[in-house]
Amino acid sequence: MNTRCVVAILGLAAMAVAAAGAAAQTPERPETIAGCPAENLAFHTCALQKATTFTPPRTPSGRPNLQGYWRSQLTQAFSVEGVPADDPLIKDPIMPWEAAAPEVIDPADRKIPYQPWAAAIGRRGVNFYKYIDPRTTCSTAGIPRLALQDASQIVQPPTDDFVLWHHDDHHMYRVIAMGNRPPVGAGVKTWNGLSRGRWDGNTLVVETTNFNGYTWIDDSGNFYTDTARIVERLTMVDADTIDYEVTFEDPTVYTRPWRVAWALVRVTEPGFELIEEACREGERALGRIREQGYKYYFGETWRAR
Amino acid sequence: MQHGFIRVRLAAAVLSLAPIAVAAQTPAVPRTPDGRPNLQGIWQVLNSAAWDVQDHSARLGAPAGQGVVNGNEIPYQPWALAKKQENFANRATADPDAMGYLPGVPRIMYMPFPFQIFQTPDHVTIAFEYAHGIRTIYTNGTPHPRGPINWWLGDSRGRWDGNTLVVDVVHFTDQTWLDRAGNFHSEALHLVERYTLDGPDHLRYDVTIEDPKVFTRPWTMSVLLYRRKEPNVRLLEYDPAFLMDEEQAARERGKPN
Repeated sequence: MNTRCVVAILGLAAMAVAAAGAAAQTPERPETIAGCPAENLAFHTCALQKATTFTPPRTPSGRPNLQGYWRSQLTQAFSVEGVPADDPLIKDPIMPWEAAAPEVIDPADRKIPYQPWAAAIGRRGVNFYKYIDPRTTCSTAGIPRLALQDASQIVQPPTDDFVLWHHDDHHMYRVIAMGNRPPVGAGVKTWNGLSRGRWDGNTLVVETTNFNGYTWIDDSGNFYTDTARIVERLTMVDADTIDYEVTFEDPTVYTRPWRVAWALVRVTEPGFELIEEACREGERALGRIREQGYKYYFGETWRAR
Repeated sequence: MQHGFIRVRLAAAVLSLAPIAVAAQTPAVPRTPDGRPNLQGIWQVLNSAAWDVQDHSARLGAPAGQGVVNGNEIPYQPWALAKKQENFANRATADPDAMGYLPGVPRIMYMPFPFQIFQTPDHVTIAFEYAHGIRTIYTNGTPHPRGPINWWLGDSRGRWDGNTLVVDVVHFTDQTWLDRAGNFHSEALHLVERYTLDGPDHLRYDVTIEDPKVFTRPWTMSVLLYRRKEPNVRLLEYDPAFLMDEEQAARERGKPN
């Protein structure tokens, strides 16, 4: 039993609709993306090679122009470590998972390099079985889970001082302050972190700190804490594809930094716009989930250590 | 020596004229590369409209304030005035904001929290520290989508009228209030907002409120927004729903098992 199951039980009446929706939302994985293999590590390696010879479109001020609507590819939200074909949850009668490739590209075993105590909490451990997925409470999905699913919009005002990354998921946004701004003091902790950006050649590099550690990385309860530092690199591979790489550092939890990567593919539907997703305002299932004994997360598993 | 004395007197005369010259002309407003007034920056009100948009005395936890409603009267239909008074009496629990929901428009514009404006030729996006609210105001000539749609922050389509950004907002829910004092509207709410820079550091926000289900005629509010100028200012987070859950979780942890 887990939060996802409870959600599914509560939604029995709506299940047919949900299944249809899920099928529609799971993008068909193309054989190639931007001419690169549709497997995360192979894509990432190939994409960065291609990017060395691609000249990205520019903003009026001469920066690579990443603006527009984007949708994630090569992603699934079950586990960034992937779901093996023999995983028992694939046969779950209520809400079956799907076999899936990992988004982790480093280390080579494609597993999060947890310290032993932390592996027992993340990786479908204590978090998954005892706590409510924070995203289910209509809080933010956090970084980088916001970019794992759904569409988003990147806005680069011509003044070059900020980049705005606006996510469809629960009307969340991130303000990326460009230039050499000093970091905000460690006493300020936030759900989405506070981000500072810079250009490394044609790559937008975003460094984020000031996390409260209340979010999960995926449905499996994989996590970081309030000491995490996350570095994202967005590199255009062709006019409609961004290579998205994320490095996680958190000495409290991991034995070494580790990375995920996937693709952001431009949404080309004419007239596409992000739509307000007010989650909390219409939320009905949380009380029932709590009745089943699941606890609020708020980093309790790692804070109690 | 004599020469130097005259130069000093002339300089003094110029200095004394300078403030008059500045006051006589409208201070220049910043502009984007495409020549529009540049509304970007972090802005915040310095008033008590979020507690009550009309003139009001101090109440516990709410500062006194002179109203932002032009003329101070809100032209409620009789049933709606009674409803407003009931809302006021029950405001501590009946205010949708007290449940951690998005506070709606125009209220989110005058919550006592900063917001940041991002501006491109195609749209103006406003990101709010309060409740992670975000509004996209399309300035690319696109029309409102067909309704009815119940959005908490409505659908915003804007155009430039000289130096003023004029925004038409429709497609609301009836679930938001205009302030903590119980002033309210229906889903038929229609706003026309006017954003005008009044010098580089002040942004005037004038809004016309129309709702034929609740009011007898359109009425207006005028709010002044101030640029946050601290060199290190940034939007942080204040999400009332998350904070309520955190308090609840802390209470549950405190319970003896």
